[in-house]
Amino acid sequence: MKKALLFCFILTLVIVMPVYAIDGTELLKQIDRNLNPESFESYRKLINIEPDGRKKEYTLFTVKKGLDKVAALFLAPASEKGRSTLRLGDNMWLYIPNVGKPIRITSLQSVVGGVFNNSDILQLEYAAEYNVEKVKEKGNEYILHLKAKTKTVAYDRIQIWADKNKKLPAKIECLTEKNLLIKTLYFKEVKDFGGGIVRPSVIETDSSLYKGYKSVMIYAKIKKRNFKNEVFTLTFMPNIESLR
Amino acid sequence: MTEVRNRKSEVAKHNLSAFLSFFWILCPVFCILSHASAEEYTFDISEIEKKPYQLGGYAEVKPVLFWLDKEASIYKLRFYNRDEGSNVEEYRAELQLEGSIEKGISRLYIRTNTQYRKSYSGDSQKTILYEGHLSLKPSVSLTIDLGKKTLKWGKGYAWNPAAFIDKPKDPDEPELSREGFIVASVDYIKSFKGPLKTLSFTPVVIPVYEHINDSFGEINNLNFAVKLYLLFYDTDIDFIFLTGGSKTTRYGMDFSRNITTNFEIHGEFAFINDHQKNYIDRNGNNFRKEYDAKSYLVGIRYLTELDTTYIIEYYHDGKGFTSDEMKKYFDFINRGYDSYVSTGNDALLKRALNVTEGNYGRINPMRNYLYARISQKEPFDILYFAPSITGILNIDDRSFSFSAELLYTGITNLEMRLKTAFIAGERKSDYGEKQNDCRAELRIRYYF
Repeated sequence: MKKALLFCFILTLVIVMPVYAIDGTELLKQIDRNLNPESFESYRKLINIEPDGRKKEYTLFTVKKGLDKVAALFLAPASEKGRSTLRLGDNMWLYIPNVGKPIRITSLQSVVGGVFNNSDILQLEYAAEYNVEKVKEKGNEYILHLKAKTKTVAYDRIQIWADKNKKLPAKIECLTEKNLLIKTLYFKEVKDFGGGIVRPSVIETDSSLYKGYKSVMIYAKIKKRNFKNEVFTLTFMPNIESLR
Repeated sequence: MTEVRNRKSEVAKHNLSAFLSFFWILCPVFCILSHASAEEYTFDISEIEKKPYQLGGYAEVKPVLFWLDKEASIYKLRFYNRDEGSNVEEYRAELQLEGSIEKGISRLYIRTNTQYRKSYSGDSQKTILYEGHLSLKPSVSLTIDLGKKTLKWGKGYAWNPAAFIDKPKDPDEPELSREGFIVASVDYIKSFKGPLKTLSFTPVVIPVYEHINDSFGEINNLNFAVKLYLLFYDTDIDFIFLTGGSKTTRYGMDFSRNITTNFEIHGEFAFINDHQKNYIDRNGNNFRKEYDAKSYLVGIRYLTELDTTYIIEYYHDGKGFTSDEMKKYFDFINRGYDSYVSTGNDALLKRALNVTEGNYGRINPMRNYLYARISQKEPFDILYFAPSITGILNIDDRSFSFSAELLYTGITNLEMRLKTAFIAGERKSDYGEKQNDCRAELRIRYYF
């Protein structure tokens, strides 16, 4: 009888356990999807704020398709207008009108200066660049520990604090291989952008490397939209304006 | 005469120190102004509304001071009948306007450049239509352009031997915008899955007739060029071809690839059929040699963890002159100068001037050059500040140019750059015979 009871108990555990186990990869994909549709267009403003309060603003029109294609066009200020950046997986280019052909840039550089680097500005889906090592639960949050899939990814490790109900990030820490903090991204002001897109509209970042400097990314518009693959090519970079 | 010269020299030195000081005074003043105007950030949806027309551009002022090398051949060629002292000043102002109108699949784009120059030789002003073309975009895969356009082919930073239908770059200012040619071109793009991610095909027709692209080459010819671009195994590759009659047929290719995220390599190769080289001997006799010329460039771009960017390029120009050919050219100028000093007859110098323009007088007329640029982004945590140094070495005769610049872009739409350049080399060497020893300039550019 005892054996039968023990067997039933173990069997129940085996059946019930998977229900409570968290599939980190699925959770990360869900967070990605809640942040953005797979293909979309958006309008953002990037603001770099110096310790003395001085600031510089950039307005960008961004288009993204699938896991690894993203392009952005600078709409303002006048000195940057017409510049565009393209990312295809690990490849990144910058096009400066009137000056020359698109040149290759790196994920660690920043086309706008400040705390956001090119990888933050041309962010791909987290699941495309990172593997989930473990997921912890703390109060109303999941904490996802991610490790870069390749050496070419801008940050070796990141940790995502995500709201359990909304499955949206509240904070992301970007770390080195040895877990040294590079920067923290804070996701704020959840907004309904329409079309089922409800996500933080403000991302703030500060850096342990640049004390007192802060950068802010504000989303004004995000809309689901499909693009042809040809949009994400070097030849098309001077023509991104035509998509608006 | 000597007194006048000394006074000119003193005035020039005074003006130089004035505008150098001006730069350092301007930086903090603009910083304070910028700080004073700081407000809370906003993002109004009206900021992103697309208008059917766009207008923009920049205005810039650039005072320049040159220190002349009175022993140099090119000084003797250009200044033989005037005495400007040891320094000359130049004041430049530039206005670049660009605008576009868009309707449906069509877009009309115009870019003009107006330059005003006040120098020892007087005042001059010119306005050039850099670009003016109609673009038709029936789909994202297809673009048709008709009109004046800069094509910007090639992957090199300082030189582009495979850019057969672009005006040559100035390696001292490779990012300056340039005038285009009147062309009809088509861009067809196709994307794929697999190792070949992108293919684009660009055929171009370049008409060369009187008053139409007549600086391109021999007139009364319709030229045809093609560029095939591939993104293959994460490498950008272009194959380029030009034929027609205005220039001899030529073939080119270039590539660019990131070895790691912060290390890029690139290269270009050009094969020019039946290149005709015009050169002179010590007595000014003209010769023409015809041969197949090969030009190539290899380069790297490397970014360190401290945000220092290194750009290094080696350039071989098969069309260029050898050290011996350049020496003969300089000898002829010196012979012409001696003749002018002893007899007052400048006929030989005028002949030398004729072979200089577009030939010996090219920015880099010789065969082998090395370019190195090191720029540091935001040192000492000074945001939007980028100092850099650039060196160009003529490998054949060991003459070189060296420049240092300080760039500040901390004020929205305003760019300030202070630059000094030195050139050095033995007599009868490329840089050693340039008319200036040194140059200092301040450039203030406002975008609108």
